[in-house]
Amino acid sequence: MKLVVDGVELYHDSISVLRGVSFEASEGEVVAVIGPNGAGKTTLLRAITSIVKPLRGAIYIDGKLINSIPPRERGRLIALVEPNISRSIPSTVLEFLLTARYPHSKFYSFIPSRRDLEVIDAIVKKLNIMHLLNRRLDELSSGEFQRVLIARALIQEPRVLLLDEPTAFLDIRYKLGVLELVWSITKEQRIVGIIAIHDMYLASLYADKVILLSNGVIVAAGKPNDVFREELIEKIYGVKVQILNIGDRRVVIPIQLLNHGQSL
Amino acid sequence: MTISFYETKLRNFLIFFFPLTFLTVALFVAHLSIGPAMLDPILVFQTLFGLSPNPEKAVANVVSLRLARALAALLSGATLALAGLLMQTITRNPLADPYIFGLSSTALTFVALGFIFAPSLMICKHYLITVAFLGALSGYMLTALLSKLGGGSDVSMVLAGIAVASLFSGLSHVLLYIVQSMIRSHYVYFLLGSTATVLQKEIPLMADSLLSITFISLLFIKPLNAYLYGDSYAKQLGFEPEFIRHLGAFIASFLTAVIVSYVGIVGFIGLVAPHIARFLVGSNHLFSMPTTILVGASIALSADIIVKLISMYVGTVAELPLGIVTSIIGAPFLAYLIIKRLRE
Repeated sequence: MKLVVDGVELYHDSISVLRGVSFEASEGEVVAVIGPNGAGKTTLLRAITSIVKPLRGAIYIDGKLINSIPPRERGRLIALVEPNISRSIPSTVLEFLLTARYPHSKFYSFIPSRRDLEVIDAIVKKLNIMHLLNRRLDELSSGEFQRVLIARALIQEPRVLLLDEPTAFLDIRYKLGVLELVWSITKEQRIVGIIAIHDMYLASLYADKVILLSNGVIVAAGKPNDVFREELIEKIYGVKVQILNIGDRRVVIPIQLLNHGQSL
Repeated sequence: MTISFYETKLRNFLIFFFPLTFLTVALFVAHLSIGPAMLDPILVFQTLFGLSPNPEKAVANVVSLRLARALAALLSGATLALAGLLMQTITRNPLADPYIFGLSSTALTFVALGFIFAPSLMICKHYLITVAFLGALSGYMLTALLSKLGGGSDVSMVLAGIAVASLFSGLSHVLLYIVQSMIRSHYVYFLLGSTATVLQKEIPLMADSLLSITFISLLFIKPLNAYLYGDSYAKQLGFEPEFIRHLGAFIASFLTAVIVSYVGIVGFIGLVAPHIARFLVGSNHLFSMPTTILVGASIALSADIIVKLISMYVGTVAELPLGIVTSIIGAPFLAYLIIKRLRE
């Protein structure tokens, strides 16, 4: 299993969002994508899921162009955790989670198989959302909903797992728990895990590789300790930072805005 | 644990499905029994299913005379409910309904125009339905366009629908006033829906449309379920949200067109039935679709029974239109939904 992103260039309403983005991720590897708001992190993940199509460049999984993979097969390969799930028609958590098994079953089999339910059961236990199964999606708290979204993606059993801000709305215990789970699943099942995340400390804890995006361009990529450098972070975020060494990790501590007093 | 939750859900569906089927049959028999000559429901039931030990010719005759109307009520309720469910899903808007979104009024306007410009073609029901279908589809597109301009929220869609529905119901009133001189039916029936004008020979086409469309919709249960959670979510699972949206709009317009062509405008069943069904069995279309159809049929049969009773006891010249009764039941429900929605 290998994911190759090759020279991806993408526009939204003729505004450039990604330019010449290239990187590789191998199986068992957790990649963290960091960068300021609007850097193109979400768009990059949506391009890999082929929800948006790049104008130039290509994305391959195991040498196969993702756009050439039949959509339902793609559903078995790639899953993206994204927050904008419509909840206007009331439905329960279980009903939502059952839909994640659709790529794995035949188009005309309407009843979930025993294995479908067992997969859901195992993931639901891991994320501690068993008590939510019969609750309505629109009644969940932000933290509960976030865990349901992550469970949904894991239930899809993808080979490439993409997570857009998975730790948003979670308390520190669930933050670590969720990332720990993604990390261990990536290692055990030899899949590719890509996490778009703002928290650089969490990224340094679980990522094998960090990609720093700014204005749609990869400005740095490598091991966490290579990317979390004082001058680089200060330049990209416009924030004065200090690097603390905790154990063998470099932790980025924001101190103050560089152009102090100016408007954002 | 998950397995037992799912089994509870499945059992829950069966618990509601069979009583609802029974209720529909009971209302159907009641509908046949009620009339100027009151019949014994048990006798009607036996005659209907050929169970009677010594069939009475008189009962059989009355039943066969009333059968077309009862079937028309049942089918129009079921059809409109299915159209409503599909519209609510494809717009992801729990306030959607063929009547509220203006599909019925535009279909009727097109039908009236058809009668004025090509009256000889309109005699053939297939042409009539095609014209009504084009009307309903334009109504849907117009409402979708207006609500998109208005920001695309749930309520903006309802407001756009009301604007379209009001404009075209006004237009269709004027046009049907002209048509009235050409066909001998009182035009109010056409405006507000009446099952009394449906002929026995028209029932098979209504039934075939409902059955074939239900079958097609059942094939799309999974895409519809995935579609509920958003376009990009459906894409992730390998479905085409655009295709589902267009197919749903086509089907809902066609179903509305069939009912407008035979019965006329009957509002709010498409709004109310899916809500009741989802409340009972949840949002999975595998369960909600059959339940919605049964609930819709029951509502239309009950409303038509009320129409019959009122016409029998206080009726003078003509019968009360069915659409009036469904509006009296449905409009307060819409008001309740809007208040609930705006408060959230």
